[in-house]
Amino acid sequence: MKILAEIEESIRISAESIWANKLRAFLATLGVVIGISFVVLMGWAISGLDKALQDSINLIGEDMLYIDKWDWSGGKRWKEIRNRKDITYQQAKQLISGLTLPEVAVPLASAWNAQVKANNIVYSGISIAGTSADFGRIPSGDVEKGRFFSQADERETRPVAVLGYKVAQTLFADQDPIGKEIKIMGRKLEVIGVVKRQGTLLMDFIDNRIYIPIGNFLELFGGGEHRRSVSIGIKAGSIDRMDEVREEARGMMRAIRNLKPWEEDDFSINETKAFEEIVSTFRLYVWGIGIGMTILSFVVGIIGIMNIMFVSVAERTKEIGIRKSVGAKNRSILLQFIIESAFLCFAGAMTSVVVCSILVFAVAKILPKFVPETGFLQPFLPADFVFIASIVAIFVGILAGFLPALRASRVDPIESLRYE
Amino acid sequence: MEKNNNSQDRQPLIDLQHISRVYQVGIEQVFALRDINLKIYKNEYVAIMGPSGSGKSTLMNIIGCLDTPTGGAYYLKGINVGELDDDELAEIRNKEIGFVFQMFNLLPRASALKNVELPLIYAGVPKHIRLERAMNALNAVGMGDRINHKPNELSGGQKQKVAIARALVTNPSIILADEPTGNLDSKSGEDIMRIFHKLWLEGNTIVLVTHERDIALHAQRIVRLRDGLIESDEMNHHRFVFEGVNE
Repeated sequence: MKILAEIEESIRISAESIWANKLRAFLATLGVVIGISFVVLMGWAISGLDKALQDSINLIGEDMLYIDKWDWSGGKRWKEIRNRKDITYQQAKQLISGLTLPEVAVPLASAWNAQVKANNIVYSGISIAGTSADFGRIPSGDVEKGRFFSQADERETRPVAVLGYKVAQTLFADQDPIGKEIKIMGRKLEVIGVVKRQGTLLMDFIDNRIYIPIGNFLELFGGGEHRRSVSIGIKAGSIDRMDEVREEARGMMRAIRNLKPWEEDDFSINETKAFEEIVSTFRLYVWGIGIGMTILSFVVGIIGIMNIMFVSVAERTKEIGIRKSVGAKNRSILLQFIIESAFLCFAGAMTSVVVCSILVFAVAKILPKFVPETGFLQPFLPADFVFIASIVAIFVGILAGFLPALRASRVDPIESLRYE
Repeated sequence: MEKNNNSQDRQPLIDLQHISRVYQVGIEQVFALRDINLKIYKNEYVAIMGPSGSGKSTLMNIIGCLDTPTGGAYYLKGINVGELDDDELAEIRNKEIGFVFQMFNLLPRASALKNVELPLIYAGVPKHIRLERAMNALNAVGMGDRINHKPNELSGGQKQKVAIARALVTNPSIILADEPTGNLDSKSGEDIMRIFHKLWLEGNTIVLVTHERDIALHAQRIVRLRDGLIESDEMNHHRFVFEGVNE
């Protein structure tokens, strides 16, 4: 009861003295404000990253394997990977027909940096993917409008195309693209479907793609013989079956590639785990930079707060004397100044939470309009980081306020009452 | 030396026995108080007089439990103050002493009401009782209509009235006033002295520290200090009596 009245009084005094010296309080807490901002923005970035990762995994499908010349985790052994032989369409077909365990397996041949014409628009920088009708059965092939091409389309190499979301948007905007004509390399194709929007941070190219039957693709662009490596997408059916499916595919692919038992695989088996690796590396960078900056700004912040609290104690020597003369104990004064310091930091934390919330909201609402791939950004700060930040701020305040408060509590009442 | 005859048999409120207070200045020892023996009883109105340097401020600090003597013993309501630590002294000041200073010493950013409430906060009095008692104290000094004014919105006399209300609010054993009119014009000074007189009539014990003879003449008993010793301690036969105040 007694302590509560003192705490209430202390908070009131703190609010008054901060209000009386607004600019000074603001400058003093700047370090803490920046520190807290780093913490919450870092939390925001990481939670966005996790969402982007989850989106990508959902998009690809957790039970998907991609057999490819290239390795998704990037970077490592890059030279060795570059020197691998391309996977030809023949090899891909051989593998697909030989596999018994997967739910579905599809070839995927890509031509990058292609061009499409339609509706008097020329759209470049897209990719053309040749695949089989079974692609419509994996998550990346989910159509939003129309249908994916059928085995009949494929068998008869009908001139049909399924558009990625962004291609459809760019070429047809508000019109219905189904039944419209597009031109690739001078060849007329009929649009029969549009794939669902899937773009994320890590998979931004996927909405900029046009799917055509692989037979048509080979006529237009040539196959593996033309230094165009084909990859094979395999849907295991469930995560439990990943291991056996992976082993079957690896064994069969090694046989197709004529590898000796002592030779390493000359192809990669890519899984969504690779994304997790990329993201976790990225997350580590964000954490590293974030924590470094946070600690730095908190150190600056603590010095700033401590300094201002010393000034405040000196300025209010008389007040301390008055309080002591009417019965304030040393620990009441200690408590008062520690609370003031903690309150100052907490006010700083709240300021930065408000500022960061506005910033984050604005960024998450505006940026995706210009860069659609940033659509994973959330328009609010993660609550747990706001909570952590507030606790840290109070702790910093207590830490920074302790020495000044100790000095205040030891002020001699007689001296301080004489102080003008 | 004339004794206060109506209080011989009672326990004194303040009992100073051979009090000395020595300050160490460099290698030199300065005696602010040498050998003070003084008893003050309940409902006395005592003025402590003396020129500057006589030790009256030191004596006031000791009586007010802001300072402790270096020699002798000080009993306040039978408690040996010299044996108390900082926190116990703070508690004694809170319960037993009401200070009124020359410079008012109000918290500049707090309203009159908040200033008067302050001692009750440290006493741990619950909020609603605090408000009621602070209001009563402000009404008692005629400041009930200015409770939300901040010190800079009040005149000197009004500030001192608020300070007196603050001193009264805990019902202390002693009201200790240090040159309470020193910063006031004569009209306001008279108002303040009138309040002290009224408080004394209501049964309060008042110790007034001053170097002004006119002010000291309001008291019932005058103690004169010189060079850290009591020069004289006598009943005041030339009492200034307020008109219309019934003794």
